[in-house]
Amino acid sequence: MKKSAILVYVVLTVALMAWGYYQAIYVAPNDAMQGEIFRIIYYHVPSASVAFLFFAISLAGSIGYLAFRRSHPERAQVADAWALAGAEVGVVFCTVVLVTGPIWGRRAWGIWWTWDARLTTTLVLWLIYVSYLLLRRFAAGPQMQTLAAVLGIFGALDVPIVYMSNRWWRTQHPAPVFGGAQGSGMDPSMVGALMWNMLAWFAWGILILALRYRVERQNQANAAAEAHAALTA
Amino acid sequence: MDQAAILDHQFRVAAYIATWVIQLGYLGWLGLKWRAAKRDGKR
Repeated sequence: MKKSAILVYVVLTVALMAWGYYQAIYVAPNDAMQGEIFRIIYYHVPSASVAFLFFAISLAGSIGYLAFRRSHPERAQVADAWALAGAEVGVVFCTVVLVTGPIWGRRAWGIWWTWDARLTTTLVLWLIYVSYLLLRRFAAGPQMQTLAAVLGIFGALDVPIVYMSNRWWRTQHPAPVFGGAQGSGMDPSMVGALMWNMLAWFAWGILILALRYRVERQNQANAAAEAHAALTA
Repeated sequence: MDQAAILDHQFRVAAYIATWVIQLGYLGWLGLKWRAAKRDGKR
């Protein structure tokens, strides 16, 4: 039952990805000003949204770990696995944002990068979570998970700053398409393509998030078995 | 197709390919990690 449910989800996700691509390339029209490069938005914006969501999951996991680490150690391990999975998959999506954005910028602005508020805060966000992953990879000892949880919480503080950056400050980055000033928004003929790609990338993200969580839980089980074997030897 | 449209097309394709290389590269790496974790668990 469980295996067939996973298989159905995988097939649905692949179908959604294909449908999203079809919408982005063949259904949505070219932008009047930007031409075809506007279509990069159909991968760029959903990737940013998924990254934000997964950093929020990492935040919840980090708080959960700190809350349960003494009272419910097993629950704390579950929370820690979610924190790590959210941070790592979030970094993958944030990397996509930081790669597709400059490709668009080179064609639209004539430059790969500029130190405006949106780009800089996004880069800082990526660097914080890469630091989080490096800490988890190279630090050892019982304090590692606690330190990582604290860093995960501080890292998440940058998410609202990234989101608000092109509302608070004048930026080279385009003004917000949704939830921006009066008159912002997207032509209805393009909204469908963006929404389908949003759904597709969320489905894809949840798939790899769940897989990363499973890997971490397996690693925790292996570490616990190893510790138990060392104690009984 | 004029030169600008060809360049637009190439940049769009580059962005889509980069996205899939990152995503599928990560998925492949995760698959290897999963296999190693399962193998360690059986030991």
